[in-house]
Amino acid sequence: MELLNLSIRELNKLFITKKTKPSELYSEIFNRSASSEAALHAHLSLFEETNLVKAKKSDERFSKSENVGLLDGIPLAIKDNINIKDEKTTCSSKMLSNFVSPYNATVISKLDTEQTIYTGKTNLDEFAMGSSTENSAFGLTRNPWNTDYVPGGSSGGSAASVASRSSIAALGSDTGGSIRQPASFCGLVGFKPTYGSVSRYGLVAFASSLDQIGPISKSVDDARIVYSAISGHDSLDSTSINYEQIELPFEKNATIGIVKELMEDGISEESKKEVEKVIDILKLKGYNIKEVSLPLIKLSISIYYLIAPAECSANLARFDGVRYGLRVDGKTSYEMMENTRAEGFGNEVKRRILLGTYALSAGYYDEYYGKALRARKKMVDEFSTIFKECDYLISPTTPTEAFKAGEKTNNPLEMYMSDLCTIPANLAGLPAISIPTGLSSNNLPLGVQIMSKPLTDNSLLDFSEMLEKELEFYSTPEGWSK
Amino acid sequence: MNLKPTIGIETHIELNTNTKMFCRCRVVDTEEPNVNLCPTCLGLPGALPVPNEKAIRYITLLALATGCSITKKGMFHRKNYFYPDLPKNYQISQFDLPVGENGNLEIVIDNEKDYVEIERVHMEEDTGKSSHEGSGRIDSATSTSLDFNRSGIPLVEIVTKPVIKSSKEAVAYIEELRQLAIELEISEGKLEKGNLRFDANISVAPSESNELGTKVEIKNMNSLRSLERAIDFEIKRQSSALENGDIIIQETRHWDESKETTTSMRSKEGSADYRYFSDPDIPNMVLTDEFINQIKENLPSLPHENRNKLTETGLGLSDSNVLSKSEKWIFELYFEVFNNTKDSKASFNWITGELQGQMRKLEIKSLPNWFSPNFLSDVIKLIDENKISFTSGKVILEELIQMDTTPDEIAKRLDLYQENDEVAISKIVNEIIDNNQDIVERIKNGEDKLVGFMVGQIIKSSGGSINPGMAKEILSKELNL
Ligand SMILES: [Zn+2]
Repeated sequence: MELLNLSIRELNKLFITKKTKPSELYSEIFNRSASSEAALHAHLSLFEETNLVKAKKSDERFSKSENVGLLDGIPLAIKDNINIKDEKTTCSSKMLSNFVSPYNATVISKLDTEQTIYTGKTNLDEFAMGSSTENSAFGLTRNPWNTDYVPGGSSGGSAASVASRSSIAALGSDTGGSIRQPASFCGLVGFKPTYGSVSRYGLVAFASSLDQIGPISKSVDDARIVYSAISGHDSLDSTSINYEQIELPFEKNATIGIVKELMEDGISEESKKEVEKVIDILKLKGYNIKEVSLPLIKLSISIYYLIAPAECSANLARFDGVRYGLRVDGKTSYEMMENTRAEGFGNEVKRRILLGTYALSAGYYDEYYGKALRARKKMVDEFSTIFKECDYLISPTTPTEAFKAGEKTNNPLEMYMSDLCTIPANLAGLPAISIPTGLSSNNLPLGVQIMSKPLTDNSLLDFSEMLEKELEFYSTPEGWSK
Repeated sequence: MNLKPTIGIETHIELNTNTKMFCRCRVVDTEEPNVNLCPTCLGLPGALPVPNEKAIRYITLLALATGCSITKKGMFHRKNYFYPDLPKNYQISQFDLPVGENGNLEIVIDNEKDYVEIERVHMEEDTGKSSHEGSGRIDSATSTSLDFNRSGIPLVEIVTKPVIKSSKEAVAYIEELRQLAIELEISEGKLEKGNLRFDANISVAPSESNELGTKVEIKNMNSLRSLERAIDFEIKRQSSALENGDIIIQETRHWDESKETTTSMRSKEGSADYRYFSDPDIPNMVLTDEFINQIKENLPSLPHENRNKLTETGLGLSDSNVLSKSEKWIFELYFEVFNNTKDSKASFNWITGELQGQMRKLEIKSLPNWFSPNFLSDVIKLIDENKISFTSGKVILEELIQMDTTPDEIAKRLDLYQENDEVAISKIVNEIIDNNQDIVERIKNGEDKLVGFMVGQIIKSSGGSINPGMAKEILSKELNL
């Protein structure tokens, strides 16, 4: 029995039937995460001591049948831009290298009531800005499938942790694909829920109108379990929504749209082939398939790289050395703030702050940020028109398989292009999921992305689970499967 | 050169809500720094703002009370600038969609009504407080202490159009606005506590010019007195600069209270660009008709309405203005006294002059609970009916404030009632005439001033109980004067 490869539901069953205990699982998880560090560097911290206590308590609950739910005693890894009370939240930035959060993010409070165990905090691109986890002030994370390659980003640490079986599942955050792209690069399921369905309170903001917390997991069912634990209205987040889920039709009553613009130039043949593979399955299942066009998708990267940096330029202004985090002294308060920011932020973060500051400046607002807002609104309209005729939209998750570490670090624009397929769902607030479909000729995972209209998260998960079963892709990265 | 000044005023009023604008921290008046804090008002990573509905209600109330049109689809914007006491280094404010626009406020100046046009009424969160040790300025301080208790307290900002013409008018405007906030019960309106803070934009241009001169912003005026003096100083400074052919630089100047001058604050490179953009953490705000109407229906009586009620009693505009800005109990006392006496001038004078004067002398802030408004009406009536003298009225009032009694009891106890019986007075008058034949002789020979001496003798012999007017009248009659 290989505990680390099991799903949450299977583990829960073993706990209930007393075939194993949460503490046994945790000790395997800890050994794995500790031993994977040297090769992968998925984690920035591991909470061994508190977890031994937590796991023991979980054991007791199961022995007395007082266990609280499916996540009781399940070790999840948490991206290090989500606050856990009394633990460091570094955002992989020198700026916050000493910041200990005095409060819990809402998702953590919710998982606490589920008695979940947090293995530790995972590496990310600094302040979630990047697509490879190479922009971490504390060193890059490597892809468990092949350590020459990046795990994707920005939730690369979370993906590498789950793929290397160092945690059962993980929380990531997704602003332009930061859950789905690393999930795809690491052969995992990555789910970005409808904007507002998971509270952002306690998630260190990158771009507030795009950020969303979601799970990275080995299976759709695991993603569903974590999602249902962390979602729900939160009075601490004004953008949190409180609406009922909408149910979508299935099989011959459902229509699948293939996004034409995401099957064109810039997308590798291998990535396209994965989509075609999925379409063949769906055809056999009786789904209606049609090609749809969303012309504005071609502008998504341009829109995104105005809106996200603009928001981030304000969101990251609070890091000034005055109240917490790094402080680099200066002769005056202003000089201290300037020195702190000059030293505390890495290059990619500075690039985006500058870009955003420029896009919002007097005289340029209308031309850049204002125009991007208008285009975003049009894109939302395009999506809602398309969703009148389609229930699900299918595309590759990423234009290519994972790339090599260092390959794109000197070419930010090319790095930005790797989010081409994932950004539209953030701009339109849609739920979107990436599920693994197969391996490339380089033996690296590939995946497809499925999007649906807002508030259809549960249907999207059901649909993806059906596909997951049909695809029968259960490969694990060599060296980490046992 | 004939020059005319033009002034615009930006006022911030701290709202007296229980909790802060975007978090659940209680607003507590405390000297201890940094105790009312949470992740949101301290700008911790990951914290989010949730708007305070009561604050939005208060701002809408003020916007309606100043006759503004209400923006039903409002928005919160981020105003970006770096300052150590601004935790997020942006302030959540409103930009192109303020709660209220295009209102006006009636003020009284020199016994005449005037109107100050309001450009906008919008919501803002307050910053923390900085104390720059060593110099008072951030750039030259040896150290800066920060207190974030104030951070996130809701503010309403009221911006006038550039329509104010003098320091006097500016003061009248602030007094009116302060009174409005108090009547609306949205603020304590205490200037000394910083509940109300104001900046002035001042420009001077040739009288015949249709265009405004270059505006200069004046900050750091902490009282109405400093507002008045700073404006006067600045008008003089700009006027003499223009008369000397100098150019006015658009800048922000700091009012130096001790030197009574304005000094240039180190001008930032270029003009400030706040890079306003809609706050993505807060969904657009929709003020429903129901919400607005409910506030409209519950508007209290506004200062200008109170003023109108006062002038309707026959009181002059200037006096009405004073009363409309006094404490509520004084305002109410006036109407009770007036309703009993129907004498607006006497009611006003006795309340604002004698009563408040006595209270100041005795250092008491409110009337004792035995003090009935009827006491004051009785005193006024007794004087009107010549039953007591004005001086006796003052004596009675003084006693009334200090002991539980009635005007009648005091008048009797101190024997203050005047003799008004003509026969009785005539008797005394004739007695005095008989005893002072030499004086009578001299009066008849034209020494008029001796009439006063005789009146004095009459009052004296009555022990002060004779009304001097009547004494004089009867004396004149008896002497055929
Ligand atoms: Zn607070």
